[in-house]
Amino acid sequence: MGREVAESCVDGVIMEMVSAYCNRFYSSKPELAARRIEAIGFQVGHQLSERYTMERPRFSDHLEAIKFICKDFWSELFKKQIDNLKTNHRGTFVLQDNQFRWLTHISIDASPDNVEASQQDSSSPTSNNAAQFTSMHLYFPCGIIRGALTNLGIPCAVSADISNLPACSFVVRIKA
Amino acid sequence: MIVCVAVVGHENNPLYLQSFTEADDALKLHHIVHSSLDVIDERVNNPKKSGSTLNETFLGLLYPTENYKVYGYLTNTKVKLIMVMTDLDVKDADVRSFFRRFHAAYVDAVSNPFHVPGKTTTSKSFGQRVGSMVKSFGPGATA
Repeated sequence: MGREVAESCVDGVIMEMVSAYCNRFYSSKPELAARRIEAIGFQVGHQLSERYTMERPRFSDHLEAIKFICKDFWSELFKKQIDNLKTNHRGTFVLQDNQFRWLTHISIDASPDNVEASQQDSSSPTSNNAAQFTSMHLYFPCGIIRGALTNLGIPCAVSADISNLPACSFVVRIKA
Repeated sequence: MIVCVAVVGHENNPLYLQSFTEADDALKLHHIVHSSLDVIDERVNNPKKSGSTLNETFLGLLYPTENYKVYGYLTNTKVKLIMVMTDLDVKDADVRSFFRRFHAAYVDAVSNPFHVPGKTTTSKSFGQRVGSMVKSFGPGATA
């Protein structure tokens, strides 16, 4: 029980997957690449949720399932729990991770002129590109969350927000 | 002796059924398995009436017919595992541990990246694993 794999390998595979879909397969259609990456995450989340819920009683409501994602599921994936969970009690949940593991190793080309450009004007093309590049890496975890919740009987839409890196928020909207 | 084991998906779609008798009775077993689904629904929706611990995956004896006893197990992902057996006196704990192993085998089968969710399980190794579990259950329970 418990076969392990080096974290750097997983990081490498994920980054390579994202860059392969974005730059090689669908370089001209970023939306399509995003959809494909999300779909891979969906299947991964679907299968992981089957495994990680094996030894526990069934969930009685949505909040319990979300809590499971925040605590046990996140610990299995990232060795830490979600730092902050907010909800409006009407089907929207915000899961905030202050140090999202898959973003901590991403470095954005920070050559001097790039830094200067982004300091002068935050809406410059460079920082836009950087945000887009980072957001490509978030479709996979979004898909994982959506796949896990869907498998637990909760159809939902998941999006990610990275307004203050390396913190990262996942917004889960449950479909009524 | 275990006569048959089955996996039924969250929309009550059959995912796997394996009979362990010599006779050609797959249709009859399908019927038994699928009539037990109503019992599962009832157990899950009225947990108080059944008296079992709230939301436990193992549902216990669903119903006895003249020849068979039908046991059920409902996972968190609403997949039903069903087992039909002929033994009259069998310990709940044995059935429970059988289901736990059966569930583990199922999880391993669907974790195959080539498995399409919601489609029938055709994995040979899953069939073999279930077969050996069923074989080891028989003598252990009767001895």
